[in-house]
Amino acid sequence: MLEIQVENEGRVRLKGRLDAASAPKAREALRPLKGPMALDMSDLEYISSAGIGVVVETYKRLHGEGGGFRVLNLRPGVRAVFRYAGLEQMFAIE
Amino acid sequence: MERRFQRDLSSLPELSRFVEEFLSRQGLAPSNAYDLDLILEELFTNVLKYSSGTDEVAVRLTRDDSTITIALSEFGAAKAYDITLAPEPDLTRPLAERPVGGLGIHMVRKLADTIRYEYKDRVSTTTITKKVSPNA
Repeated sequence: MLEIQVENEGRVRLKGRLDAASAPKAREALRPLKGPMALDMSDLEYISSAGIGVVVETYKRLHGEGGGFRVLNLRPGVRAVFRYAGLEQMFAIE
Repeated sequence: MERRFQRDLSSLPELSRFVEEFLSRQGLAPSNAYDLDLILEELFTNVLKYSSGTDEVAVRLTRDDSTITIALSEFGAAKAYDITLAPEPDLTRPLAERPVGGLGIHMVRKLADTIRYEYKDRVSTTTITKKVSPNA
Protein backbone atom coordinates (compact mmCIF):
# COMPACT_ATOMS: atom_id res chain seq x y z
CA MET A 1 0.00 0.00 0.00
CA LEU A 2 1.46 3.34 -1.08
CA GLU A 3 0.24 6.88 -0.49
CA ILE A 4 1.63 9.80 -2.45
CA GLN A 5 1.08 13.35 -1.28
CA VAL A 6 2.13 16.28 -3.46
CA GLU A 7 2.86 19.29 -1.26
CA ASN A 8 4.06 22.85 -1.83
CA GLU A 9 7.43 23.82 -3.29
CA GLY A 10 8.04 20.54 -5.06
CA ARG A 11 7.91 18.34 -1.97
CA VAL A 12 6.40 14.90 -2.58
CA ARG A 13 5.77 12.67 0.43
CA LEU A 14 5.74 8.88 -0.01
CA LYS A 15 4.09 6.73 2.64
CA GLY A 16 3.95 2.94 2.93
CA ARG A 17 5.55 0.48 0.51
CA LEU A 18 7.05 1.24 -2.89
CA ASP A 19 7.28 -2.25 -4.38
CA ALA A 20 6.67 -3.83 -7.79
CA ALA A 21 2.90 -3.72 -7.18
CA SER A 22 2.77 0.00 -6.27
CA ALA A 23 5.53 1.22 -8.64
CA PRO A 24 3.10 1.91 -11.56
CA LYS A 25 0.97 4.13 -9.28
CA ALA A 26 4.10 6.06 -8.16
CA ARG A 27 5.31 6.39 -11.75
CA GLU A 28 1.94 7.77 -12.85
CA ALA A 29 1.81 10.28 -9.98
CA LEU A 30 5.39 11.54 -10.43
CA ARG A 31 5.51 11.72 -14.23
CA PRO A 32 3.55 14.99 -14.71
CA LEU A 33 5.46 16.84 -11.96
CA LYS A 34 8.15 19.38 -12.79
CA GLY A 35 11.37 20.01 -10.90
CA PRO A 36 12.84 20.94 -8.57
CA MET A 37 11.51 18.00 -6.58
CA ALA A 38 12.22 16.80 -3.05
CA LEU A 39 11.06 13.23 -2.46
CA ASP A 40 10.37 12.93 1.26
CA MET A 41 10.68 9.30 2.39
CA SER A 42 10.27 9.75 6.15
CA ASP A 43 7.08 7.60 6.05
CA LEU A 44 8.29 5.14 3.43
CA GLU A 45 8.69 1.78 5.16
CA TYR A 46 9.96 -0.28 2.24
CA ILE A 47 11.42 0.06 -1.23
CA SER A 48 12.52 -2.67 -3.65
CA SER A 49 14.41 -2.56 -6.96
CA ALA A 50 11.11 -1.74 -8.72
CA GLY A 51 10.72 1.35 -6.49
CA ILE A 52 14.35 2.31 -7.07
CA GLY A 53 13.56 2.14 -10.79
CA VAL A 54 10.83 4.79 -10.37
CA VAL A 55 13.17 7.05 -8.36
CA VAL A 56 15.98 6.75 -10.94
CA GLU A 57 13.56 7.34 -13.81
CA THR A 58 12.26 10.52 -12.12
CA TYR A 59 15.81 11.70 -11.43
CA LYS A 60 16.83 11.15 -15.06
CA ARG A 61 13.77 13.00 -16.40
CA LEU A 62 14.14 16.02 -14.11
CA HIS A 63 17.90 16.12 -14.59
CA GLY A 64 17.32 16.12 -18.36
CA GLU A 65 14.85 19.00 -18.00
CA GLY A 66 17.33 20.94 -15.89
CA GLY A 67 15.30 20.64 -12.69
CA GLY A 68 16.77 19.65 -9.33
CA PHE A 69 16.03 16.39 -7.55
CA ARG A 70 16.64 15.45 -3.93
CA VAL A 71 15.69 12.49 -1.74
CA LEU A 72 15.01 13.25 1.92
CA ASN A 73 14.71 11.43 5.26
CA LEU A 74 15.43 7.81 4.37
CA ARG A 75 14.76 5.19 7.03
CA PRO A 76 17.63 2.74 7.63
CA GLY A 77 16.14 -0.16 5.60
CA VAL A 78 15.35 2.11 2.66
CA ARG A 79 18.79 3.74 2.85
CA ALA A 80 20.39 0.27 2.69
CA VAL A 81 18.56 -0.44 -0.58
CA PHE A 82 19.83 2.87 -2.03
CA ARG A 83 23.33 1.78 -0.99
CA TYR A 84 22.96 -1.68 -2.60
CA ALA A 85 21.79 0.07 -5.79
CA GLY A 86 24.93 2.22 -5.79
CA LEU A 87 22.87 5.41 -5.54
CA GLU A 88 24.26 6.98 -2.39
CA GLN A 89 26.88 8.90 -4.32
CA MET A 90 24.80 9.49 -7.44
CA PHE A 91 22.35 12.16 -6.32
CA ALA A 92 21.54 14.30 -3.29
CA ILE A 93 20.29 12.20 -0.36
CA GLU A 94 19.67 14.18 2.80
CA MET B 1 6.18 -23.21 6.50
CA GLU B 2 5.16 -23.54 2.90
CA ARG B 3 2.52 -21.65 0.93
CA ARG B 4 1.50 -21.26 -2.68
CA PHE B 5 0.93 -17.89 -4.31
CA GLN B 6 -0.70 -16.83 -7.56
CA ARG B 7 1.86 -15.72 -10.15
CA ASP B 8 0.71 -12.14 -10.03
CA LEU B 9 1.97 -8.87 -8.59
CA SER B 10 -1.13 -8.72 -6.42
CA SER B 11 0.41 -11.57 -4.36
CA LEU B 12 3.13 -9.28 -2.94
CA PRO B 13 1.19 -8.13 0.17
CA GLU B 14 0.37 -11.79 0.88
CA LEU B 15 4.06 -12.72 0.59
CA SER B 16 4.91 -10.01 3.08
CA ARG B 17 2.26 -11.26 5.52
CA PHE B 18 3.66 -14.79 5.13
CA VAL B 19 7.12 -13.53 6.18
CA GLU B 20 5.61 -11.67 9.14
CA GLU B 21 3.74 -14.80 10.26
CA PHE B 22 6.87 -16.94 9.92
CA LEU B 23 9.00 -14.57 12.01
CA SER B 24 6.34 -14.35 14.67
CA ARG B 25 5.93 -18.15 14.88
CA GLN B 26 9.70 -18.55 15.11
CA GLY B 27 10.00 -15.83 17.77
CA LEU B 28 12.38 -13.91 15.53
CA ALA B 29 12.71 -10.12 15.53
CA PRO B 30 10.27 -8.30 13.17
CA SER B 31 13.27 -6.21 12.08
CA ASN B 32 14.34 -9.23 9.98
CA ALA B 33 11.25 -8.76 7.79
CA TYR B 34 12.74 -6.11 5.48
CA ASP B 35 15.56 -8.27 4.12
CA LEU B 36 13.35 -11.36 3.76
CA ASP B 37 10.60 -9.33 2.04
CA LEU B 38 13.14 -7.86 -0.35
CA ILE B 39 14.69 -11.23 -1.25
CA LEU B 40 11.26 -12.77 -1.81
CA GLU B 41 9.92 -9.85 -3.86
CA GLU B 42 12.97 -9.83 -6.13
CA LEU B 43 12.85 -13.62 -6.66
CA PHE B 44 9.09 -13.58 -7.18
CA THR B 45 9.04 -10.68 -9.66
CA ASN B 46 11.91 -12.31 -11.50
CA VAL B 47 9.77 -15.40 -12.00
CA LEU B 48 6.95 -13.17 -13.32
CA LYS B 49 9.33 -11.48 -15.77
CA TYR B 50 11.38 -14.36 -17.10
CA SER B 51 9.54 -17.64 -16.69
CA SER B 52 6.38 -19.22 -17.89
CA GLY B 53 5.40 -22.02 -15.54
CA THR B 54 2.03 -22.85 -14.01
CA ASP B 55 -0.21 -20.37 -12.21
CA GLU B 56 1.27 -20.93 -8.78
CA VAL B 57 4.63 -20.34 -7.13
CA ALA B 58 5.54 -22.15 -3.92
CA VAL B 59 7.51 -20.45 -1.17
CA ARG B 60 9.04 -22.41 1.70
CA LEU B 61 10.58 -20.75 4.75
CA THR B 62 12.53 -22.84 7.24
CA ARG B 63 14.82 -22.05 10.13
CA ASP B 64 17.88 -23.76 11.53
CA ASP B 65 19.08 -21.80 14.57
CA SER B 66 19.97 -18.34 13.23
CA THR B 67 19.85 -19.28 9.54
CA ILE B 68 16.69 -18.87 7.48
CA THR B 69 16.28 -20.80 4.26
CA ILE B 70 14.01 -19.37 1.58
CA ALA B 71 13.07 -21.65 -1.31
CA LEU B 72 10.97 -20.43 -4.20
CA SER B 73 9.74 -23.03 -6.68
CA GLU B 74 8.05 -22.62 -10.00
CA PHE B 75 6.28 -25.63 -11.52
CA GLY B 76 6.00 -26.57 -15.17
CA ALA B 77 8.91 -24.30 -16.09
CA ALA B 78 9.77 -24.77 -19.77
CA LYS B 79 13.44 -23.98 -19.17
CA ALA B 80 15.94 -23.26 -16.42
CA TYR B 81 16.46 -19.72 -15.17
CA ASP B 82 19.52 -19.74 -12.95
CA ILE B 83 19.96 -16.37 -11.22
CA THR B 84 23.47 -17.33 -10.12
CA LEU B 85 24.48 -17.05 -13.79
CA ALA B 86 22.91 -13.62 -14.36
CA PRO B 87 25.42 -10.82 -15.08
CA GLU B 88 26.07 -8.15 -12.45
CA PRO B 89 24.97 -4.58 -13.27
CA ASP B 90 27.80 -2.03 -13.49
CA LEU B 91 26.92 0.32 -10.64
CA THR B 92 29.96 2.52 -11.22
CA ARG B 93 28.51 3.90 -14.47
CA PRO B 94 26.69 7.25 -14.36
CA LEU B 95 22.94 6.86 -13.91
CA ALA B 96 22.14 8.20 -17.37
CA GLU B 97 24.19 5.41 -18.97
CA ARG B 98 23.00 2.52 -16.86
CA PRO B 99 20.82 -0.05 -18.55
CA VAL B 100 17.52 -0.91 -16.89
CA GLY B 101 17.31 -4.26 -15.10
CA GLY B 102 19.55 -6.60 -13.20
CA LEU B 103 19.23 -4.62 -9.99
CA GLY B 104 16.86 -7.05 -8.28
CA ILE B 105 19.22 -10.00 -8.61
CA HIS B 106 22.10 -7.78 -7.47
CA MET B 107 20.10 -7.00 -4.29
CA VAL B 108 19.45 -10.69 -3.66
CA ARG B 109 23.19 -11.34 -3.99
CA LYS B 110 23.93 -8.52 -1.54
CA LEU B 111 21.54 -9.92 1.07
CA ALA B 112 21.99 -13.68 0.70
CA ASP B 113 24.66 -15.74 2.41
CA THR B 114 24.27 -18.56 -0.13
CA ILE B 115 22.30 -18.97 -3.36
CA ARG B 116 21.60 -22.33 -4.95
CA TYR B 117 19.63 -23.16 -8.07
CA GLU B 118 18.09 -26.43 -9.25
CA TYR B 119 16.05 -27.32 -12.33
CA LYS B 120 14.62 -30.81 -12.26
CA ASP B 121 11.48 -32.38 -13.74
CA ARG B 122 10.36 -28.92 -14.94
CA VAL B 123 10.52 -27.56 -11.39
CA SER B 124 12.72 -24.49 -11.10
CA THR B 125 13.88 -23.79 -7.53
CA THR B 126 16.04 -21.01 -6.15
CA THR B 127 17.20 -21.52 -2.56
CA ILE B 128 18.68 -18.74 -0.46
CA THR B 129 20.13 -18.88 3.03
CA LYS B 130 20.35 -15.82 5.24
CA LYS B 131 21.59 -15.32 8.79
CA VAL B 132 19.13 -13.38 10.94
CA SER B 133 19.02 -11.71 14.35
CA PRO B 134 17.68 -14.34 16.73
CA ASN B 135 16.05 -12.15 19.38
CA ALA B 136 12.45 -10.99 19.12
